[in-house]
Amino acid sequence: MTDFLKLNLKQLSDGLAAGQFSSTEITKAFLQQIRGRDISVHAFLDVFEGTALDDAHASDERRAAGKSLGALDGIPLAIKDNILIQDQRATAGSKILANYRAAYDATVISSLKKQGSVFLGKTNMDEFAMGSSTERSAYGPTKNPYDLARVPGGSSGGSAAAVAAEMAPAALGSDTGGSIRQPASFCGIVGFKPSYGAVSRSGLMAMASSLDQIGPMTKTVEDAAMLFDAIRGTDVLDQTTQEIPFSFEAKQSMAGIRIGVPKQAWGEGMTPGVRAQSEAALAVAERMGAKLVDIDLPYAAEALAVYYVLMPCEVSANLSRFDGMRYGVRDAGLPLIETYMQSREHGLGEEVRRRIMLGTYALSKGYYDAYYRQARRVQTLIRRAYRDAFKNVDLIATPTAPSIAFRLGEKLSDPLAMYLEDVYTVGVNVAGLPAISIPCGLDDGLPVGFQLIGAMGGDGAVLSNAHVLEQALA
Amino acid sequence: MALSREDVKRLAELSRLALTEEEMERMEQTLDPVLEYVGRLAKLDTSGVPEAEEWSDALPPLRADEAHRASPETRKAILSNFPDKAGDALRVPGVFEKPKG
Repeated sequence: MTDFLKLNLKQLSDGLAAGQFSSTEITKAFLQQIRGRDISVHAFLDVFEGTALDDAHASDERRAAGKSLGALDGIPLAIKDNILIQDQRATAGSKILANYRAAYDATVISSLKKQGSVFLGKTNMDEFAMGSSTERSAYGPTKNPYDLARVPGGSSGGSAAAVAAEMAPAALGSDTGGSIRQPASFCGIVGFKPSYGAVSRSGLMAMASSLDQIGPMTKTVEDAAMLFDAIRGTDVLDQTTQEIPFSFEAKQSMAGIRIGVPKQAWGEGMTPGVRAQSEAALAVAERMGAKLVDIDLPYAAEALAVYYVLMPCEVSANLSRFDGMRYGVRDAGLPLIETYMQSREHGLGEEVRRRIMLGTYALSKGYYDAYYRQARRVQTLIRRAYRDAFKNVDLIATPTAPSIAFRLGEKLSDPLAMYLEDVYTVGVNVAGLPAISIPCGLDDGLPVGFQLIGAMGGDGAVLSNAHVLEQALA
Repeated sequence: MALSREDVKRLAELSRLALTEEEMERMEQTLDPVLEYVGRLAKLDTSGVPEAEEWSDALPPLRADEAHRASPETRKAILSNFPDKAGDALRVPGVFEKPKG
């Protein structure tokens, strides 16, 4: 009998199409795995035992009637809890939304429903996607399946751990400063952050709207391409969406591809183990035909500071809606202003409150020019630096994270140390670019991730070349 | 750029957060290093550099501001998320009222 848990999205899709197994069989297998494994990993906040099997059964009936909805029909997926599925709970890892049930489907969810996907459940995350370890969930941390004493990364740590622990063949995450790529790196899976505007965010709880993107977290690059293709496209409900030409090519070589190696990223700052594995991956890219080019990426070192001004500013505005009025938990029996203050005090966690206050500070009178405006100007310089770099190279390579998965609790009391986790990933969001993290070996038994960054709209090039590198690294 | 306790208190009020004394102290301690870190941006010369623009050069035209009728299911879901209600209306504390009891 096939071990369904080992199969990737493509293999499951092919097997369903060939009638080798049914969606009901594979969905049961993943639900069974969740029952056994999630007690220790805690990747899921909600598991949809009933509806998942109903949807799998409906998919099998469609297929039997010759009315399959395509490659994803009957494929079980895990969904990050800040993405809305109608009638299901959506907490975004926050206490203030403990009882909130989504009134509508996110656009990515309605797309996947039209293609027949089955939803296994909602995955754990740092509260409102603010964190790099999933320890900031109000519902307790997710553990790294490689070592339960370590974090899975974050904020999409539940999605990463679910795929790594074979509780789901693939998942959706969201990435504002690295929240898909860094947990993918820590859990040894593939995580892809699409170009800004490639995927609709309607129904994604907004964190920093000028930076947020939804993307796939999978076992292989080909799977990431498949899932990305299923959710991308324009949407009248998200005005920032645009049609980006996309094609994935399962090619065999990187001949003719120029990979920029920015000196700013490859200097100090990473652990020796991460350096060894990442440099080995660069050498493999070269062996596959790519030409490595040392490049200068001025202002790259400022991206983290720009991010930690712009993001909290947008957070302070976006999270003002969580005031206990129209939904969420309300502290009752108080005058209006105290109702706001107490509901937010009790409903929102410490890191969320910290970022709201940072943003409030940076946007307040007397500081707006020095912080917000200056950050927007440096953002222009960063975008120009990437644009200039991509005149000479096709892709840019860096490590995904400066270290392997750290221990639970290690960085909790030092927010700045936690923020520095994003040092290689935030530049991509500040510039709106597509980027992927793929596994590039182990250090001390724990996964290391390698990041490939593309030019704006170059999602196909990122995925096609990452596929070559992934095959050569395997 | 060290924040005083008064600054933190004012920020908490503006942010509509009722922090305890202990939380204010922790905020004071943790906000300072972050502000110091992002303060590095002030050292960069950005004279003549415009603020970053919108992502897309050609944003689609705005949708008309029209009311749409929600499905009965959606309506029910929205109503069931209300923390407090009177019939189908959302009940909120009055702006000028002191609550009874």
